[in-house]
Amino acid sequence: MKEIIAIIRPRKIGETRNALEQLGFPSMTATAVLGRGAQRGIAAEVKHINPDLLAPNHAGGMKYIPKRLVSIVVKNVDVATVVKTIIEVNQTSQVGDGKIFVCPIEDAFRVRTDERGESAV
Amino acid sequence: MKMIRAILRPETAELVAEGLAEAGFVSLTKINVFGRGKQKGITVGTVHYDELPKTLLLMVVEDANVDTVLKLIHHKAYTGNFGDGKVFITSVEEAYTVRTGAKGL
Repeated sequence: MKEIIAIIRPRKIGETRNALEQLGFPSMTATAVLGRGAQRGIAAEVKHINPDLLAPNHAGGMKYIPKRLVSIVVKNVDVATVVKTIIEVNQTSQVGDGKIFVCPIEDAFRVRTDERGESAV
Repeated sequence: MKMIRAILRPETAELVAEGLAEAGFVSLTKINVFGRGKQKGITVGTVHYDELPKTLLLMVVEDANVDTVLKLIHHKAYTGNFGDGKVFITSVEEAYTVRTGAKGL
């Protein structure tokens, strides 16, 4: 099992959810988070952000940008499909589309039925 | 790659984030969380607080940079009192940038 942690734009969460649901991955956990990437937040109204300009030094800049953190646990064989779908749905070709991390999960447990392992996912 | 989850005091989290940015680790995700540690929360007078507000900083770095980041977090977040926080490190197998679809950090 793998956990796929995707940090994406909040406006794209609906599209992502629908796309994954059609593929048969309806379960996910989404959290509202704040974050920043290599561009150091948003520097005021500048379209192409110079990384040397720190966003906090700019009046009207944003140190952190609101994002959605989506966590999905899937079987090993499904990782590539889910990652590909998330990338396809969330691409806008603009900086800030997000990142995806794939982490190993050792065990899973379903509270209702006491199932363990892959059948619990 | 390793994922570093640091649960810190909200007031020190910003210091840590600034320190990390200066050292070149700009990317991070900040989540406001509630939790308690071994001390089971805190008692002030007759009132017991079971869940204390904390800030979770989540970042993914290359294996070689883990020690640097840990030292920085310890240096910036240390106050010497209970409740300074905890750091957990887990492995990350793959990372993708959504905009380009490229693999890696």
